[in-house]
Amino acid sequence: MTSVPENPVGESAKNGKVYFSALSALEGIADGMTVLVAGFAGCGIPQELLRGLSEAGASRLTLICQGTWTQDPGDFTIGDLVASGQVKKIISPMPFHPVQGGPVKDAWESGKLELEIVPQGVLAERLRAGGAGIGGVFIPSGSRTRFAEGKEVREYDGREHVLELGLKADFALLRAQAADTLGNLVYESTNRNWNPTMAMAASITVVEVNSVHEPGGLDPELVITQAIFIDRLVLSASS
Amino acid sequence: MPGTKLDPSSMARRVSHELFPGAVVALGMGLPCHLPGELPDNGGVWFIADSGVLGFHGLQGNESGQSAVDTGGNAVATLAGGSFTGVVDVAGILRGGHTDIAVLQPSQVSAGGDFVHWTTEETAGVFAPGSAVDMAYGASTVVAVMPHQYPSGRSNIVEICDMPVDGVGIVDIIITDSAVIRVLSAGLELVEIAPGWTAEEVIAITEAPLTVSSDLKEMTFSTMNFEAPNKVYSTALAALSDVPEGSIINVDGFAGPGGMAHYLMVGLRDVGVKRLQLISNTAGIARMSAFGAPNIIDHSILVENNQVVKATASYPVSPSASRPSAFEEAYNRGETELEVVPQGTLAERLRSGGAGVAAFYTPTGAGTLLGDGKEARNIDGKDYILETGLRADFCIIRGHKADTLGNVVYKGTSRNFNPVMATTAKVTVVEVDEIVEPGELAPEEIVTPGLFVDRIVVRPSDFSAYLDS
Repeated sequence: MTSVPENPVGESAKNGKVYFSALSALEGIADGMTVLVAGFAGCGIPQELLRGLSEAGASRLTLICQGTWTQDPGDFTIGDLVASGQVKKIISPMPFHPVQGGPVKDAWESGKLELEIVPQGVLAERLRAGGAGIGGVFIPSGSRTRFAEGKEVREYDGREHVLELGLKADFALLRAQAADTLGNLVYESTNRNWNPTMAMAASITVVEVNSVHEPGGLDPELVITQAIFIDRLVLSASS
Repeated sequence: MPGTKLDPSSMARRVSHELFPGAVVALGMGLPCHLPGELPDNGGVWFIADSGVLGFHGLQGNESGQSAVDTGGNAVATLAGGSFTGVVDVAGILRGGHTDIAVLQPSQVSAGGDFVHWTTEETAGVFAPGSAVDMAYGASTVVAVMPHQYPSGRSNIVEICDMPVDGVGIVDIIITDSAVIRVLSAGLELVEIAPGWTAEEVIAITEAPLTVSSDLKEMTFSTMNFEAPNKVYSTALAALSDVPEGSIINVDGFAGPGGMAHYLMVGLRDVGVKRLQLISNTAGIARMSAFGAPNIIDHSILVENNQVVKATASYPVSPSASRPSAFEEAYNRGETELEVVPQGTLAERLRSGGAGVAAFYTPTGAGTLLGDGKEARNIDGKDYILETGLRADFCIIRGHKADTLGNVVYKGTSRNFNPVMATTAKVTVVEVDEIVEPGELAPEEIVTPGLFVDRIVVRPSDFSAYLDS
């Protein structure tokens, strides 16, 4: 692991793509923006960046994410951002636990939060399309259900397919195991989840990592997300 | 008084009787997560979780693998040969028809096979599709495993769902804590009952009409043991001997010799099967370009053997007009058809074919000759054309190493079209330098998961990429 220089007093808050705090790495995040947040069932969630987002105080945000809760009560989650009133809308395949509920369910039931439910694979495909320059895709998932309502449907190979449009965002908040200073990323295990797809789909991509290496410090065959997708890196305080 | 209701582990064991060796099995949230625990050391089936782990077992088994979470967020570990991927690739596996069986826990299933995913009677109207939609729409067989009734006593099996459905006409078999029910076009048929239950007792707690099978049985719960099917073939010829005439064949490779399955290409020539349609980045230009010596093996050997009737390619012709490729000459003689596709569009069409995307709008080629005859559409101020997904009957790819389960790693830019093509064919055959045991390739390093690969051959160490003549 590279020793990332301490933030020199009076100097800039970054060194290349490496920022010295989550807050500084989120510079430019503004009210009303759409933000992708990676993570799956408590894995690969950029908790420092979520705390930074809370500190930055941007409001009326639209968040696109897998879920909003974790199993560990000590975690900082999207639920906490919703509780503090920063979130206008969540697009997710599973926005809250239907049995346990929580702040997201409460906010939705009281009309303070808008929810758009999108099946996981459809959401992944829409983000991938957005990131890969594809305008829209015809896919079979969800045909003849509420997920197809108001959408164009065509038949291919004797089966109904639904037109889903590409999706892009202003910011993506990601979590990786390690990066090099150029922004190449590797993940660990199922922490990979939404990270590589979301990395492609945002104007500004910010990654929280456990360690930052010099270029060449990651095996080129093992890099999952290429540096061209990554704008900002910040070391996780918990690493 | 009916018999006892089955516990989750007995239900999971009964579900495991629906599996078969080599089956690719997608597991949803809840009860399906018990399945790997009931097949503790089993490498004979591929479990998939939408969290991005392929090939795993519950932690109660041996814990040598790398830890991960499953669909429900439970801790699991990879089996030898297990690997990791991201959610978009999992979605492609699910939707692209690569799963044999999806196991889901719906909250409600209708007589017509519609289902409602994860919700509760108390929170009806609060619904969370997760990946259940993609699992259900992509799998050959959909198994619903669920309690027969809500705690209140209300039936989970109904004539028509009264909550928003996550899939229409999707469920094939329902396995509950009291019975096994098949979803037939004529309605629901009770085929098995749990020990201590009678058919009448099951009918009494079911809110949909049930017909009782003339062959009604009692459910059994034996522990299954599946052997992984053998994928290793002795020669290229043996691995390709059943390619039918007129097949669509995806052939990997970039421009030069790197990443090209030369040994399989010779095998395909020696099989001699005719009227092939090749989908490939080039139509065989390595021999005529500066990339290789004139006698290097490429697609030309198939063309010269009169096996090719069509090529779909992005670089179909030689860079030098004075040195036309075998395909060009055949095309100029009117013996072959040609479809020219820009490289990125070719890659995207293959990716779509493999990931269950029937068609997509791409900006590439809009307003040019390449867009002629295709639907044009403006989306958010940008011009696109509609391109369709490509699939194939066979695919021949070139890896560096494979394990016996078919997991593949590549070397450098030899990766090129290989991983995407591996997802597109009914039968994928890979040629590698070395075959290793499952577990020898690290879960993080595997690029093509073995569930895509059907046959593996070793390129003989004395095999030359150059023809003798």
